[in-house]
Amino acid sequence: MNETTTTKEPKILILATLSGGYAGADYVGQQHLNYTTNTSILPVRCPSMFSTEFYIQAFEKGIDGIIVMYSGTDSPFKGGPERTAVMVDQTYKKMGELGINIKRLKLAAICTVCKKPFLKQVNEMNKTLNEIGFVQDELADQGKDK
Amino acid sequence: MTEKTNPKPEETKIGVYVCYCGGNISDVVDVEKVAEKMREHPNVTIARTDMSMCSDAGQSIVENDIKELGLTRVVIGACAPSLHEHTFRGTVARGGLNPYYFHHVGLREQDSWVHSNNPGGATEKAVRLMYAGIAKANLLKPLDMIKLKAERHALVIGGGVAGLRAAYDIAGRGINVTLIEKTPFLGGRMAQLETVFPTGNNAREDLHSLINEVRTHPLITIHTLSELVNIRGYIGNYDVQIRSQSRGVSGDNAEAALAACTQEVPDDFNYGLTKRKVVYRAYEGCFPSTPAVDWEHYDGKPIEIDGQKVIFENKKKTFDLRIGAIVIATGFQPYEPPRGDYGYDELPEVVTLPQFIRYMGLRDGNVGELTWKGHPVRDIAAIHCVGSRHLAGVHEPQPDGILNNYCSRVCCTATLHQVNELLDEYPNINVYDFYEDIRTYGLEHESYYTEASKNMVRFLRFHGDQRPEVAAAPEGDTHPVLVKGKDYLTNGLEIEVPVDLVILAVGMVPRPVDDLVDMMKIPKGDDRFLLEVHPKLRPVETPVPGIVLAGTAQSPMNIQESCNAASAAAAKVSVLLASGQVELDPFVAKVDLDKCTGTGDCIEVCEYEDAIVLETMTVEGNEVQRAVVTPANCSGCGNCVSACPHHAIDVQGWEVAHYEAMVDAITMEVEL
Repeated sequence: MNETTTTKEPKILILATLSGGYAGADYVGQQHLNYTTNTSILPVRCPSMFSTEFYIQAFEKGIDGIIVMYSGTDSPFKGGPERTAVMVDQTYKKMGELGINIKRLKLAAICTVCKKPFLKQVNEMNKTLNEIGFVQDELADQGKDK
Repeated sequence: MTEKTNPKPEETKIGVYVCYCGGNISDVVDVEKVAEKMREHPNVTIARTDMSMCSDAGQSIVENDIKELGLTRVVIGACAPSLHEHTFRGTVARGGLNPYYFHHVGLREQDSWVHSNNPGGATEKAVRLMYAGIAKANLLKPLDMIKLKAERHALVIGGGVAGLRAAYDIAGRGINVTLIEKTPFLGGRMAQLETVFPTGNNAREDLHSLINEVRTHPLITIHTLSELVNIRGYIGNYDVQIRSQSRGVSGDNAEAALAACTQEVPDDFNYGLTKRKVVYRAYEGCFPSTPAVDWEHYDGKPIEIDGQKVIFENKKKTFDLRIGAIVIATGFQPYEPPRGDYGYDELPEVVTLPQFIRYMGLRDGNVGELTWKGHPVRDIAAIHCVGSRHLAGVHEPQPDGILNNYCSRVCCTATLHQVNELLDEYPNINVYDFYEDIRTYGLEHESYYTEASKNMVRFLRFHGDQRPEVAAAPEGDTHPVLVKGKDYLTNGLEIEVPVDLVILAVGMVPRPVDDLVDMMKIPKGDDRFLLEVHPKLRPVETPVPGIVLAGTAQSPMNIQESCNAASAAAAKVSVLLASGQVELDPFVAKVDLDKCTGTGDCIEVCEYEDAIVLETMTVEGNEVQRAVVTPANCSGCGNCVSACPHHAIDVQGWEVAHYEAMVDAITMEVEL
């Protein structure tokens, strides 16, 4: 295990709700549909728990793209989706301030059987990251500007 | 079983186990390489692989390692956590650890099964995810399940055979049951059958026997014309609201209203073959026996009863119940072909199998000769897979854009059962059976095919993309209808069969229950049937705790299978509610009183009543306000976590620090 921040391909973190995106990812697996291995899916109860600070730190650590796959209107948690949207919106503002391309963060409603939307989100994030490059290069450029 | 001490990360001794899953994981992921990499981690005491971690042998390895090596945490990489996380928590507990000192990493659905095209990448990803699991495991704290009182009362939605069976089985275990049925009468689709396979019993006699058991059971309350309109709460404590319509007529005027009513509509019990009054009984002998007004079709005009003009009123009422668990048994409806498909709804000689069954049931005994629309029936074509096994590019999708690409399973045996009964009565009729595949899959069901062969049924096999065509015969022809197609039992020979009647073996489609789906947050499959957690391991449970499935709401099933599923659902409900309490995962918010300053920000974003309150307490001699969580009212959503400016509140078992540690692990470069 070598601790380093260099990356060969963009790293995508997927925060996926148990009642939506995570079950949807399992469903994609049950269908044996392929997507890229640069994805790390972490189960969450509701992403409303994540503050702007968490997202920014993740980018600073070398996560190039984050897809928040929440349950949208299907969430079992009252007020959870709305709070998630508020936190993501706040994070966009902070990303703008820090010079982090806001395309690196995506909020998407994914249901338990949303195999096509799941794949679409992963593919689109890969496409975006291929266009805009690694986050650490972006952060380094910001450092130079200062 | 909370332990008093929580080892610091540097003191943890982690056991890591990577499952082959019988090849499901190891066919793609280099499982041995993953375990080898895990051994490099400073907190890992042991890393092993096993062909099947969920087997008794696999679990024993973990139990023994905990005891013999003094493990303080366990991480297992295997199938989806939804399948075996609970299993492995039990394993860890049997080994003597707090069950929440375990973390499950999904390496099958989210790695090997989606990266079969990239084994190297999949192995690297497995290492990354396992490292993340270890990072989280390092920070896990011991937790105790939350025990809540559970209402020993189940709600069964649907009064067909599955709902009835489930209700009776649950009540048999001493648990109260409320059964609601949307229509005015119990029995569902089974009431529309005449005989059932494989017993040959009279369908309604069997059904009435079950209905009698249900309606006389002291723990079962039945509400017909009733539906669920609202639900809140959680397993053990669902608050549901039921809305009931009135029958419109009561004992005093029911029979007179039935006799006096003159407004008629197509009889849905007979699939439109006959008409019935809008004040009606589904059939003679139905339960309840009191007639009901068909509110959907009643024109609102007065009916003269005993010299008085009476307008029926639908007095709706709602009532609330506290329910511990719910069985969904909303059933199916037969596929109805679009107009013109196989001549349906255009040629009067084309009927569906359910219509034909009703037609046979409506006859007044053996009349010597079978007739249809006044003409003798000498030749019949039965066509299988109507509305089932649709192919993309060949068949038109349903109005909702979905193809019925599944096999409805029941139709083959049902068709042959009906054909054999027909030929027993009318041996001179010729039957031509157009099939794609014969799937008489159940025990003793093959005998229906064998018997049909003995009965000289002519089997003609078509291909899915070359289904038979049904057309009106030229005027003056000996038969009214021609069925044309290719028979692949004779090398694709073009055939043309003149017949008097065409029976379409239609498949099953689920009843539209989007309102329930939306209310309960239960998933539907691609086929629109309700989806279980796992077809093998958790076949009647939905992902929503305390809500289970019974019968054909889940998939096409015959009556045997529906009753099996209903009994399984009942067993699941009984286990949940038998003790009068349910144990919930302790994933609720917890306040760190050392950090809390009583800002109340957490309360402002919390949507759950009384989940968090500010309480006055004394700290270092000063009276201060601090947030306090009531676990039974907390959903564990985490809204409060992102709101607290002091990071003083977190969700137990799902802490922000866990995610930060996992992100650290994920961003490390993995070298294989």
